[in-house]
Amino acid sequence: MSIAIEVQNLRRVYRASTSILGREKKEIVAVSDVSFDIKQGELFGLLGPNGAGKTTTVKMLATLLIPTSGTATIAGYDVVHQAQKVRESIGFIFGGERGLYWRLSGEDNLRYFASLYRLDPSEAKKRIPYLIELVGLKGRENEKIEGYSRGMKQRLHIARTLLHDPDILFLDEPTIGLDPVGARELRSIVRDLQSEKKTILLTTHYMFEADALCDRIGVIKHGEIVALDTPQNLKQGVQDLSVIEMEVYGIGSEVLDKLRAQPHVDSVSLEDREQKQALVIQSSHGSEIVQDVINNLNGYRVERVVVREPTLEDAYVRLVGG
Amino acid sequence: MLQTTRQYTRTALMAAEVVLKEMAVDSFIMFTIVIQPLIIALLGLWMLRDRPDAAIYVVVGSGMSGLWSSMVFISGNSINAERWTGTLEMLVAMPTPLYVVTAGRNLAHVMQSLLSMIAAYAVASLFMGYALDIDHPLLFIPSLFFTVVAFISFGLIMAPIFILSPAVDQFKNGLEFPIFVLCGFLFPIALLPEWTTPFSYLLTPYWAARALHESAHGGGDVGVVLASWAILLLSTVIYVAVSRRLFRVILRRVREDGTLGLA
Amino acid sequence: MQRTTTQTGLLYTIISNLRMFYEGSRLSYIALFHWLRPSTYLASKIIMPLNQILFFTFLGEFSGQNTRDFYVIGNAVQMAAISGIYGVTMSIGGDRWAGTLPYLFGAPSSRLVMFLGRAFFHILDGAVGVIFGLVLGVLVLGLDLSQADPLLLLLAIIAATISSSGLGLLLGSVSLVTVNVWFFNNTLYFLLLLFSGANIARDDMPAWMVAVGDILPLTRSIEAARRVAAGGSFDDISGLLTVEVLLGLFYASFGFTFFRWIEFQARRRGTIDRM
Repeated sequence: MSIAIEVQNLRRVYRASTSILGREKKEIVAVSDVSFDIKQGELFGLLGPNGAGKTTTVKMLATLLIPTSGTATIAGYDVVHQAQKVRESIGFIFGGERGLYWRLSGEDNLRYFASLYRLDPSEAKKRIPYLIELVGLKGRENEKIEGYSRGMKQRLHIARTLLHDPDILFLDEPTIGLDPVGARELRSIVRDLQSEKKTILLTTHYMFEADALCDRIGVIKHGEIVALDTPQNLKQGVQDLSVIEMEVYGIGSEVLDKLRAQPHVDSVSLEDREQKQALVIQSSHGSEIVQDVINNLNGYRVERVVVREPTLEDAYVRLVGG
Repeated sequence: MLQTTRQYTRTALMAAEVVLKEMAVDSFIMFTIVIQPLIIALLGLWMLRDRPDAAIYVVVGSGMSGLWSSMVFISGNSINAERWTGTLEMLVAMPTPLYVVTAGRNLAHVMQSLLSMIAAYAVASLFMGYALDIDHPLLFIPSLFFTVVAFISFGLIMAPIFILSPAVDQFKNGLEFPIFVLCGFLFPIALLPEWTTPFSYLLTPYWAARALHESAHGGGDVGVVLASWAILLLSTVIYVAVSRRLFRVILRRVREDGTLGLA
Repeated sequence: MQRTTTQTGLLYTIISNLRMFYEGSRLSYIALFHWLRPSTYLASKIIMPLNQILFFTFLGEFSGQNTRDFYVIGNAVQMAAISGIYGVTMSIGGDRWAGTLPYLFGAPSSRLVMFLGRAFFHILDGAVGVIFGLVLGVLVLGLDLSQADPLLLLLAIIAATISSSGLGLLLGSVSLVTVNVWFFNNTLYFLLLLFSGANIARDDMPAWMVAVGDILPLTRSIEAARRVAAGGSFDDISGLLTVEVLLGLFYASFGFTFFRWIEFQARRRGTIDRM
């Protein structure tokens, strides 16, 4: 299978001025060194916490940012020197509601973008109703976007990005801010695109989404790829682990540090859930250390202790740290 | 080549349509292209009431002021608005060059701002009962055409500058009245100190106003009008050439700086 | 004991109100020009106003209706409205755009002090603007102020800024509940050019225009400034300026009442967050 997207040592540094006068410049490394290949027809997931460099990477590939160093080619075209060719071959969405003309109807938006994608009017005439149907906006296409729900806007973005039937798609957090039903609908559209053999680069920070959709996943942290494999293999990587989950109350960071210092404890994370807290501990010794952990929580209320098998999320937590 | 030209023309026209649909009811635009020029027109009509040719002079002059204000405020604002809504980023990543879209948008802004002249005309003739004859319509109409074209291409220079830096926005308040003064929209520049004359000559709106005034109620001096047309055309050519380069340089620059979207 | 407490209480109230007045006015001014750079200030507070004076003065000269000084003085005093209308409205309405209105309504402090504090710096700034305009008039347009008593001129200028800031306070309050704030303000600013007598002698106006001018700020201070320039004495302008200041206070108190009413309505209906 041939390579659709080739990324080599991509790096992007932002220069921000820290004072009003702009004399002091600060350099922020958004992407420090990223390399990966995506095969034709592959759905590749880029996973990482906020600020890890996902969006910056996608923007460089979509020709909106020029890399500080490194190269990237899309369908054989260089993203810096052959930006025009790249633009013709790709579609992209950046998650969220922005990027549409709110006072125009959904159909007018598509008509305008069709002409920006250089479609013939006759072609657009056939393509637009088809796409409206595809993303489930039929019957609402003549309404102004400002009345659309978030999910509808996101689906319109999908339709927009398919106007010129690109072979390569960048979907940057397409389900962000959607309710569960909307997110599920969107995922099913992505699956359809996958079955049409589109090459897709998907970024997300929902593990199950990546697990369910992606052929391969790259985990990005502090602007670097820290793991790159199939979801199965990534999970394999944490098979030695078990996960202890417990409900606790009123635990502070000093307790977490104490737990982290315990032998056989791989990672510790704490999540607030209303009055309770969920304490998650990864360990290769599973149930053996439960008693040690509880001893360390002496004086705190502990409820519902569960020891379970690792998920992709656990693999992710191990990779990006917790 | 022909195919591309047709395609670009179509896209530009569609961009114009989008602008008109998006901003038809915008109150800021209504103020800039109707209210302000109209109040200037009313003041002008009142103040110049003793001059016989004043009415058409004021209508043309206040119309020019509306055109210019719209150029300064609305074109810049509309780029910034696209930045806020995230569509600017979209436009940059499209296979259609941004100057095509910008030309279409400018067309819409300039056509829209011709409303200034029309509104002033209507008020002066219908409500105030002035007889408003254009002395040399065959010179006036092409003058208006060349004016529109020159303004659209001037907008092609403004747009990339606004794309580069939203901060340019802050200068725009200082760009309105100086042009009203220097370009002889509502009074001859002969009133100004002599040393300012070369500056007026350098400003395209001056020649636009000159051609329009001369053909509407001046002597209809064909030489003056033709010379103004030539200068308007020359400006257009220069603006288009410069803007092509500006677009290239500035789009490259914003992709390097990452300043297209919001921080 | 009781007495002392009350006194400290009173003193405390005064000091805290003074501090709030100062903080409020300072903040509103900084907020307005938080992007304050020399270029911005130059464009919106110097180049624009001065060229506006030039524009209308040359237009007036072209018309030949009045002397050049007539237009220079009229349009220079009109500059007070830039700070008065735009500046003050922005410092009141700014809370709405910044989303801080609920906090403002929730604050236990004196509304009146806060309200007036927001106008204070704009009154000063407006006065500076007018003086700039007059200096330009003298230097570039040959304005003759040799007969003028500078102190009386300053009085007229302050009166102009007070009255236009009063109107600004009203507009600012209205801006909290209307959508098209700038449309409204811009239009009013330009209508002032038409009705205040800055560009058309009030003797030439039809009666209805004179009547409109009578209830607008600036009309009387422009007239007063012209009288001072012609060598008028305090007695010549005291009546005009008294009414001018009263007019400003009327607009301000109307604005304040409206502000309280909005606050009351917002609390009653629970719509603060939606404003």
